[in-house]
Amino acid sequence: MRRTLIFAFAAATLLLPMLANALEGDHRIFPAKGSETGRLLIHGATDLDAMQPLIADFQDRNPDIAVEYTDMVTNDLFRQAQQICAAKAEGADILLSSSVDQLVRLANDGCAQPHRSAETMAVPDWANWRDEVFGFTFEPVVFVYDRRTVPAEDVPRSHEALSNLLRSKAEAYRGRVGTYDIAASGVGYLLAFNDSRQAPTANGRLLETLSRTDTVIRCCNNEVLGELAAGRISLAYNVLGSYAYAAARANAALGIVLPRDYTLILSRGALIPSHAPHPDVGKRFLNYLLSARGRGVAREKSFFFAEDAPLPDGVDGPPDLMQSGIGRPIRIGPALLAAQDEVQRRTFIADWMELIRKSRTDR
Amino acid sequence: MRTSNSLFARLMRRVGIVLALGAAALTTAAWFYARTAANEAYDRLLLGAAFQMSEGLVVADGRLRFLLPPSAFELLGLAERDRIFYRVVDPDGATLTGYPDLGPKIDLHASRGGPVFSNGSYLGVPVRNVTVARAMSMPRGPGWAYVMVAQTTEARQALASELTTRAVILVGIMSLVAVIGTALAVRYSLRPVGELGTALRRRDPQDLTPLKVSVPSELSPFVTSINHFITRLDERVKLLQRYIADSAHQIRTPLTALSAQVSLIDEAKLAPEDRRHLERVQSRTAELARFTNQLLNHAMVIHRFDSIQLAPVFLNDVARKALRNAVPITVDPDLVVSFEPADEELAVLGDMLSLREAIVNVIDNALRHGAVARLEVHVRQAGDFGSVDVLDDGPGIRPEDWPTATSRFYSGRSDAEGASGLGFAIAAEVAARLGGRLRFRQRSESELFCVSIELPLAERPS
Repeated sequence: MRRTLIFAFAAATLLLPMLANALEGDHRIFPAKGSETGRLLIHGATDLDAMQPLIADFQDRNPDIAVEYTDMVTNDLFRQAQQICAAKAEGADILLSSSVDQLVRLANDGCAQPHRSAETMAVPDWANWRDEVFGFTFEPVVFVYDRRTVPAEDVPRSHEALSNLLRSKAEAYRGRVGTYDIAASGVGYLLAFNDSRQAPTANGRLLETLSRTDTVIRCCNNEVLGELAAGRISLAYNVLGSYAYAAARANAALGIVLPRDYTLILSRGALIPSHAPHPDVGKRFLNYLLSARGRGVAREKSFFFAEDAPLPDGVDGPPDLMQSGIGRPIRIGPALLAAQDEVQRRTFIADWMELIRKSRTDR
Repeated sequence: MRTSNSLFARLMRRVGIVLALGAAALTTAAWFYARTAANEAYDRLLLGAAFQMSEGLVVADGRLRFLLPPSAFELLGLAERDRIFYRVVDPDGATLTGYPDLGPKIDLHASRGGPVFSNGSYLGVPVRNVTVARAMSMPRGPGWAYVMVAQTTEARQALASELTTRAVILVGIMSLVAVIGTALAVRYSLRPVGELGTALRRRDPQDLTPLKVSVPSELSPFVTSINHFITRLDERVKLLQRYIADSAHQIRTPLTALSAQVSLIDEAKLAPEDRRHLERVQSRTAELARFTNQLLNHAMVIHRFDSIQLAPVFLNDVARKALRNAVPITVDPDLVVSFEPADEELAVLGDMLSLREAIVNVIDNALRHGAVARLEVHVRQAGDFGSVDVLDDGPGIRPEDWPTATSRFYSGRSDAEGASGLGFAIAAEVAARLGGRLRFRQRSESELFCVSIELPLAERPS
C-alpha cells in the first residue's frame, strides 16, 4: 500500500513539470535585453502579434527580464490553469485571457493572488474583482464586413438590422456570415452568453436567421477574419474590435461597425496565479499593463481602443460609446460565474449549436 | 495627620472604573449586535440568491434541467469581494452542478422545513452556507432537489467591524464627555470643601470666634464640630488665663509678706553660713516676685488686646515712661543710663499700657542680663516705622538664638540666675499685635548690642 502511494507520489512529481511544459500553442522566448536576472512566464490567450509591442516596451523598461510567452486558446489555458492550481504546482507568473469568466472562476476557486498598487487603483470597478482579476484592455465587440461584397446600404448598424438584412437577403448572404464556434472558443461563449442576456428575444431571432443563412463557424477571431479577408465570407459577427481593427489596417476592404443598439465591451483579463513561480515579476508586468504607458502602447499598437479615447479612424460607431449607454462592459465579477456553470454551459452550447446547425443538417 | 489621596482622585478613579466597565460592556454588545446585523443583512442576500437558483430548476422532457440565473450571482456580487460556491443536488442525491465537495456534512433533509444556515469552511476559507430545498415532480414521482449556496465572509466581517468601529468611536466620545463632565461636576461640588479649608487657613491663630462660612448640608456637621471645638478651646484658654492671672495675684500677696518677713530677719545674729542662705532666699523671692509680675502683665496684655480700642500713642512719651518705670532708684550708680528721643513726635496706633509694658520688659532684660556700664534708649524713625531701640554694652544674644529668644521662658544664658522670663515674649507679642516686630542687632566694634521694637507709624494727624 505504502509502496503504491510512494509510486503515485513519484509519478505525480515527475508528471507535474511535464504537465507544465506540455503546452499547446506557440511558445516564444524573448531574451532579456541586458543581463538576465528574472524570467517572466506568461500564459496568454491573446495573439502574440498584439502582445509583442507590449512585451518589447516592458523589456525596454526592465532590460533584466526575459519573457517566455505561451500562446493558447482560452479553453486550454483555463483547463491547464485549473490543473496547476489543483496540484499546487508552479505554472505561469501571469495569465492573460480574453475569456474573463474563466479567470473569475479561477479566482473564485482560490487560484489567484491579490495585487494592490497605484496602477491597480486606477482600474475602473467593473474591470477589477477582488484585486485578483484585472481587465487591462477595452475591446468593443463589432461587426466586420467586406466592402467588396457588402453594398453600403446593406451595412448593418445594429443587431436588429443584421437579422433584418439576413432575413431580407437570405440568399445573398447564405454561407457568407461567419462567427465563433462557441464550443471551441471561451471568449465566443462568453460573448454569446452575454448577447443572450442583453437582448434575449432579439438575440433568439438573430440566432435563428444566422442558422438559416448557413453561418460559418470558426474557432477563433483570426480564423473568422481570415475567411473574411480571403473573401470567402462577407460579414463577421461578434469579433473583438482589436483584432478587427488590426485586420482592417492590413486590408482596406474590411469595414468595422459598432452596433448602435448595444455594443458589448470586453476587457481582457489578467491574473497572477496563487502559486506563480515569480509573482513579483508577474506583478511588475501587470503594473506595466495597467500603467498609463502600457495603456498608451496598447492603444497605439495592440488593441487600438481605449475607454478614454475616441474611436480609431475609420470605425463606424457611436461617438460617445460609454456615456450614451450603448457600450455595455462585461463586468468582471461573480456574475460571470453563472456563465462558468457546467450545466449552464453545456445546455447553452448545445442549444446554440442545435440552432446554428439546424439548417446544415436540413441541407 | 495621615493624608490619603484626594477626594477628587478617589471620585474620579471610581467613576473612571465604572465608565471603563460600561464602555467595555457596550463595545462587546456593539460587536455582537454588529455581527448579528451583518449576518442578517448578508444572509438575506444569500437566501435570495439560493431561492433564485432553485427557481432555475425545471423538469423538462422527463429530466431535471437547471438554468443558473446570473442575477443570483449579481445579488451575491453585492458583497463585492466575496467568493461564491454552490451545489445543486438532484432528487437522487447526486450533484447536478456546482462544486461537488461543498458542504458534505450538511444534512440536506433538514432544509425541507425551511432554509438552513450554517457556518463552515471551503477551500480553506470560512464560508456562510445556506441550503434550500425544492420539491420537484419527477416522472418517477415527487422528490426533493436542493440548492446549497456558500459565500465567503469578507463582506460580513468588514461590515461588522465597521459597525463595531463606529460604535466604539461613539462609546469613546461618550466616555470622554462623561469623564470631563464628571471631573467638572466633582470639582464644582468639592469647591465648598476647599473654601472651608481656605477659611480655616486664613484665620488668625488667635481668633477663637466660631466660623461663619456657608457650607452645603453634608459639611455642616464638620463646621458645627469645629465651631464647637473652637468655643470650648476659647473657654479653656480664657479659663486658663484667668486662672494664671488669679494665681499670680493670689501668689503676690503672700509673696510680699514673705519678702517683708525675710527682710525683718536680723542678719547680724546669723552665722555666716546662714547669712548666705538668707541672701539666696532673698534673691529667689525677688525672682519669684518679678516672674509673678510678668505673668500678670502677660495676662493683662493679652486680655487688653481682646477688649480695648487702639489709639494713637507717641513713642517718645511711652519710651520715656517705660524707662522711668524700668530703671529702679536703687540702680547701680556706675551704670550710665541715657535717653535719646526722636526729633519729632512719632505716633503709632497702639495701647499705651501694653506698649509701655513691652518696652519695660526689654529694658528690664537689658539691665538684668546685658548692661555693664551703659544703657541707652533711642526713639527714631526708620522709613514707615517708628523704632524704640534699647542698647546695652553687654555681650548680647548670639544670632543663632534670636529666633528662640522670643519664645516663652527662654534664657539667653545658661546660668539660670533669674533667667527664665517672659520679657521678650511679651514684647514680641505686643509688637506683632500692633503690626510691628521685634529685632535684634549684633554687637560690633563700633555699635552696642541693640533690641528694637519697630511699629508702623500711624497716619500723621494733619
